[in-house]
Amino acid sequence: MTAETHSDRSETSALGLDWLDVSLLGGGVLLLYYVVPLVSLFLAVPAGDVLSRMGDPPVVDSATTSVLSASISTGLATLFGLPLAYWLARTDGPVAKAALAAVVLPLVLPPTVGGIVLLTVFGPGSPLGEAATAAGFPLTRSLAGVVLAQTFVASPFVVVTAKAAFEGVDRTLEHASRSLGKSRLTTARNVTLPLAGPGILAGVTLAFARAIGEFGATMMMAYYPRTMPVQIWVSFVELGLDNAYPVAILLVLIAATALVLLNTVASNPWD
Amino acid sequence: MGLTLELSRVHKAYDQFDFGPLDLRVDDEVLAVLGPSGSGKTTLLSAIAGITAPDAGSIRLDGRELVGLPLEDRRVGMVFQEGALFPHMTARENIEYAAAKSGRAGELAALLEVDDVLDRTPSALSGGERQRVALARTLATDPDVLLLDEPLSSLDAPIRTRLRDELHGLFDSLDIPVLYVTHDQRTATALGDRIAIVRDGGLEQVGTPSAVLTRPTNRFVANFTGNENLLEGTVAEKQSDGVRVRVGDCDFRTTASAPDTSTVTVCIHPSRMAVEAPNGASGDSTANAVSGTVCRWLNEGSAYRLDVDVGTAQPLAVNVPPTTFERLSLETGSDVRILVPRESIHLIPDGA
Repeated sequence: MTAETHSDRSETSALGLDWLDVSLLGGGVLLLYYVVPLVSLFLAVPAGDVLSRMGDPPVVDSATTSVLSASISTGLATLFGLPLAYWLARTDGPVAKAALAAVVLPLVLPPTVGGIVLLTVFGPGSPLGEAATAAGFPLTRSLAGVVLAQTFVASPFVVVTAKAAFEGVDRTLEHASRSLGKSRLTTARNVTLPLAGPGILAGVTLAFARAIGEFGATMMMAYYPRTMPVQIWVSFVELGLDNAYPVAILLVLIAATALVLLNTVASNPWD
Repeated sequence: MGLTLELSRVHKAYDQFDFGPLDLRVDDEVLAVLGPSGSGKTTLLSAIAGITAPDAGSIRLDGRELVGLPLEDRRVGMVFQEGALFPHMTARENIEYAAAKSGRAGELAALLEVDDVLDRTPSALSGGERQRVALARTLATDPDVLLLDEPLSSLDAPIRTRLRDELHGLFDSLDIPVLYVTHDQRTATALGDRIAIVRDGGLEQVGTPSAVLTRPTNRFVANFTGNENLLEGTVAEKQSDGVRVRVGDCDFRTTASAPDTSTVTVCIHPSRMAVEAPNGASGDSTANAVSGTVCRWLNEGSAYRLDVDVGTAQPLAVNVPPTTFERLSLETGSDVRILVPRESIHLIPDGA
């Protein structure tokens, strides 16, 4: 106790501020930089005005497209991401390392480059793109295109976060379950998944938030049907900043909901 | 029914350590596996349970080959060190998850005296309760072999002793091979029908507790089982009823048969000697009587440990019951006579 008091005093500056206060003063500038623009957005337009424009067809259409596509992308990311995350969590060696690097790549790749990469595979000039268009299921300028772009950019969140969640489950518990005569599948369902659940939910939430906000790759893969970020861009360029507000506010609210989810049922990976 | 577990030439190579090749047969009995940490005790259990795949060798349970079978198909029950209870299930759910047939869970909970805490989650259970639930969970599967990995090591002394005594009775009622891993010699001798001493991935000695304690095959086993008296001696005379050995200034008659070497390690367990007053009349006329001076004593609770200088290179460690210690009013500097029965002396040939 005495030692603690002593060290506190030694870190107190000449002004009578201790190091923690100085940290907050410095970091507070950054904190304000996050909060002020958000508040400013909500103050920029009267609430009634925003509400009345929420029913405009472009807003409704883009919100429908975004929620639908982000839900599908998140579903796909979870469906394929969880097995990959489990495999990565339970495998060591150079192959797993390389696989993890490939998973992280879309996170560090600029989204527009991601869009170009995807266009080379699914675009109109590519064999796959041609075939799909011929079959009446175009992979660009379609909901499928949006989903492909969002999945590429957002699914790593599921894989990386779920991998950490699986690694947090003591392997001894899995061994215990199997030594009780339960198959790998029963063990995964009854032991591993429930214990990794909050972490997995965090990954799914992050992936959804990322998918619904995805702009760069979506823009290149599917300018139509317009997702909310694309609609914001179009409104801004064609009609001015004011017209971009309603959709932007909608996206902020979705992001805030994701944050609430992260801090309640899911286990916040940055907590 | 008499199930038998049989390991033959089981081998597993690690970077720093080689396990086996090891042969071991466990019948319907409790085999206490005793060894220091890192000696391969857990590897042995892991190989039997199927957590670790051996590089070579076979593990047969009643003639059925286990190597290659997945964990879940082996019918090998394992109680893990900290219990490994599923933290998101209550004690009841843990046991019922494993129960092969309904009703078994309640029966086992009653047997292991955890029926009062069945609705608690593992984090709300005490260490002892956790191990009881873990044991109930494992037994609920009706395993053909029971493996226990230091289940008592994290418990406080009184609970450990109590649970150990209960386990003794429980193991008796099971008709299956039981392997009990521990690094504690007392637990091993208390629970084991036989003890296997493990070192560096190999078996040093397998035998009944009294055989391992009194007739260790080498210095490591002697040391690890608390046998402190390892004295350098030479064989002085070979007779039909045993050899006579010379240790420092002392002569000991033994019932041991002639060893291969003329220099030997003379091994006398501290609890297998008697202390009496220097002029006391000996009760056992055939025992070796040596005179000495107490140079140090320690109260170890259930016994006093004396270091007695008898003219050998190192003092003789002797355990004395508290009643004797008090009757003789022993203290540092007391002169005593130590009776060493001939059959208490064990000879380890040099190089073993």
